[in-house]
Amino acid sequence: MSASPGPSRAQVLALYKQFIKNANGFNNYNYREYFLRKARTTFRKNRALEDPATISAAWDTALKDLGVLKRQSVISQMYTFDKQVVEPLDPKHHSRG
Amino acid sequence: MFKPMLRGSACALKAVSVRAAFRPVAAASFVSPIRFYSSSLNKDEISSRVIDVVKSFDKTTASASITNDTHFAKDLGLDSLDTVELLVAIEEEFDIEIPDKVADEIKSVGEAVKYIESNPEAN
Repeated sequence: MSASPGPSRAQVLALYKQFIKNANGFNNYNYREYFLRKARTTFRKNRALEDPATISAAWDTALKDLGVLKRQSVISQMYTFDKQVVEPLDPKHHSRG
Repeated sequence: MFKPMLRGSACALKAVSVRAAFRPVAAASFVSPIRFYSSSLNKDEISSRVIDVVKSFDKTTASASITNDTHFAKDLGLDSLDTVELLVAIEEEFDIEIPDKVADEIKSVGEAVKYIESNPEAN
């Protein structure tokens, strides 16, 4: 097994931020919400992990997933999607009319 | 036969060169030398926008009144992951990037406002 020490709290938070940012990059509502949901539930599920081997396995999986997420998010921006009716037309400033 | 024409064009040429010579002067009097990089934000505007973002964040209880003193963890019950998400929303609102080290220190609405105020790229 890899002898590397587990990721620090700051590293995990930075990784989570990367997940959220890249998921937000999706143009398509369904994919965007799916990846946001998946990031939230996965990080919450893994927050109580104690075993170093399990932690580093989860870390490696997350890094791999982040790679996929980044790639797909960029690809999704190359296509246009119609907005779903549930989406505000201008997501920025939507609360200020 | 060509002479008047030639004279005419010379005259036109002169007129053009005169106009060209004058243009920079005229332009300089209209364009102010100040460059506007961004509209400067005042503190009240920043804090009202931050508060709007916090209010529209899913996990905050809508009833809680949000002020500059509102603490993300203590008053809104957000954990570290929620705080990260909220800061990403704030980053998007102001088109900035908050470095991880700074983001770690931002734990209340007031601190977020202070950072945005100090960031010249915020708009």
